[in-house]
Amino acid sequence: MSPYDVLPRFRAQFDANNQEFSISGVVRPQAIDELGPSIASLRDAIGRVRGVLYVNVRRLTQMNNAAFHAFSRVILDACRARPDLKFVVITSSVVGWTSRKFGRLSGIEPNITVQEYDSEFYPGQGFLEEGGFVPILRSQTKMTWRHERAILPRHGMRHGIVMADICCGIGDFAVLVQKEFQPSRIVALDHSISSLTYARQVMREFDIRGIEYTYGDASEMLLDEAQFDLVTCRHSLQIFNRPELILKELYRICKPGGRVYITNEKNSHCLGEPRAESIRWTYNEVAKLFGHFEMDVELGPKSRRYLMEAGFEDIRVETFMVTNLDGDPQDFAEVIAAWADVYAGDMAARRGDGPEFVARFRQGFQDHIFAALHPKGYAGWPIWVASGRRPQ
Amino acid sequence: MLMEQGRTRMGPVHHELAGEPSFAPMIQIDMEIKAFVSAWRHCDYVSTYMARMISQNRSDSVRHSNLFSSAFNELLEVAFRTRHADGELACRVSRHGATDRIELTFPCVPEERQFYEQAVSQVAGTEARERYLNSVSGDLAPSREVVLLELAVDYNATFRVEEAEGDAIRLVVDLPLEGLEH
Repeated sequence: MSPYDVLPRFRAQFDANNQEFSISGVVRPQAIDELGPSIASLRDAIGRVRGVLYVNVRRLTQMNNAAFHAFSRVILDACRARPDLKFVVITSSVVGWTSRKFGRLSGIEPNITVQEYDSEFYPGQGFLEEGGFVPILRSQTKMTWRHERAILPRHGMRHGIVMADICCGIGDFAVLVQKEFQPSRIVALDHSISSLTYARQVMREFDIRGIEYTYGDASEMLLDEAQFDLVTCRHSLQIFNRPELILKELYRICKPGGRVYITNEKNSHCLGEPRAESIRWTYNEVAKLFGHFEMDVELGPKSRRYLMEAGFEDIRVETFMVTNLDGDPQDFAEVIAAWADVYAGDMAARRGDGPEFVARFRQGFQDHIFAALHPKGYAGWPIWVASGRRPQ
Repeated sequence: MLMEQGRTRMGPVHHELAGEPSFAPMIQIDMEIKAFVSAWRHCDYVSTYMARMISQNRSDSVRHSNLFSSAFNELLEVAFRTRHADGELACRVSRHGATDRIELTFPCVPEERQFYEQAVSQVAGTEARERYLNSVSGDLAPSREVVLLELAVDYNATFRVEEAEGDAIRLVVDLPLEGLEH
C-alpha cells in the first residue's frame, strides 16, 4: 500500500455551535459511495440547523465533478424541502475554481449565497496597502537588510536551498535574497494582489529569475507540506490576530530539519535621544493603537514562546537595532514620517482619537525624526529575529 | 509509482494545423491504458504531477497549478472510463502565450468516438452555460458531456476532436488559465 492510500485525502465535518459544515482537502472519488459517510453527515447537519447552514469550502483544494454534484444535490434538495433554511457557501479567493463553481448554485436556488472569505482576515493590510506605502516598505527593507544579510546564514540561509517567503509584500526581500544567496528556488507568497503586481513588474523590469510570486492566504496555503529548507515570514505575525495559525502553516510547509525564520518588532522599544520621553510615550501608544485593531506589534520578544508552542526545536533568537547611523539618516526619517502619516492619520481617525491626542501622538514621531537627523542624535528601531528547526 | 509504469517525454510535438499559432511542447506522459485504468488514483497523480511541472513559470505558479490540475483531472477521468481495453494513453501539454493545450489521446470504441464528436460540437454552442446549469440542478450524476461543458463554462476551455492512429481518439483542449480572473 502506498502512502497515498493511507493518507486521509479529505475531511468533512459538522460544527453544531457554528452551524457550519466544512469540507477540506482533495475530494476526487471514483464512485459516489466513497462519499457515503460525508453525504450522510451533511444531511444530518441540515436536519439539525435552523435559519442558516454555513458550508465552508475554504480549505477544499480539489473536488471532481462527481463529488461536486453529490454534495450540491443534497443542498439543492434541501432548499426545496426547507424553504426556511438558507445556505451560505464560504469559498476562498485563493483557490481559483471554488467561487466560480459553487457560485453556480446561487443562480439555481436563491436561498444559496456564496461568500468569498479572506478580506477581513488581515486587519492591517488595508492600512498598509493604501496611501503610497510602497516606497516606505522598500526603505524599511533596505535598512533591515544591512543587518539581516549577516544574520540569515545563522538561521539556515545558504546557497542552493529551496525557500519560501511568506507574506512577501512587494517582494523586495526575496529579490535581495536571490541576489545575495542564490537559492535554487524561491516561492514568495502574499495576499495582496497589488503588492504582487508590483513585485512581478520589478521582476520583469530587472530580469530577475528564480522567484515565483504567488497569491495566497498565509493561514491556509495551497503549498504542499515539507518542501522548503527555509521558510521566512518577516514583520507579519505581528499584524495577524491569530499568529499561531500562520506558524502552523509555516511549520507544515517546512521540511523536517529545515528552519522557519521570523522577524517582528516591539514598537514600544523604539527610542531616540534627544527628546526620549516624548518618543517613548508615542511608541507606547503605537502598541496600544495596533492592539485596538487586533495586531500585536509587541510580538518580537514573544517569538521564542510562539516557536516553541508551534513544535519547533533548536530555537535561536537575536535582536538588531536599525538606527539613524545605518546609511543615510534621511531614510530613517522618511520611514518615521510615513509611520506618522498612517498611525496618527488613518488609524487614529478610525479608532476615533481626538485632536489633542493626535497632536501629542504625532509630536513623538516628529521628535523621533528630530533625533534621527540631529548631528549628535541617535534614533533606533529594534527588531527581533527568531528561527526554529522543524524536528526530523 | 506512476513514473515506473509510464514514460515522460519532453521531446518535440509534431502537431500543428495550418494557420494555427505554434504551441511549444512542455511535457508528455504515455501509459498503457491497462496500467492507467488499473487504479483510479492515476488520474489524480498524473493531473497533479503535470500541473506542477508546467506551472512553474506562470505568473502565479501555485494558483495555476491548482486550476490546471482541477481541469486536467476531469479530462483524465473521462479517459479512464473508456470501454476500449487495449492501446496507449498519451497526455501531452504544450503552450502558446497564456494558453495551455492538453492533447489527450486514448483508445475508444466507435460509439464513443461518435459521442465525443457530438459532445464537442455541442459544447461550442451558445446554450452551453444553460445546459451546464440544468445538469447541476438535475438528478443524474454528471456525464462525460457535462464534464466538458463545465470546463467550457468555468475555465473558458475550447475543444477539438482529432483522428488518431488505431482505435484512438485525440481530444485537444485549450485552457486560457493565465487569463482567468481571481
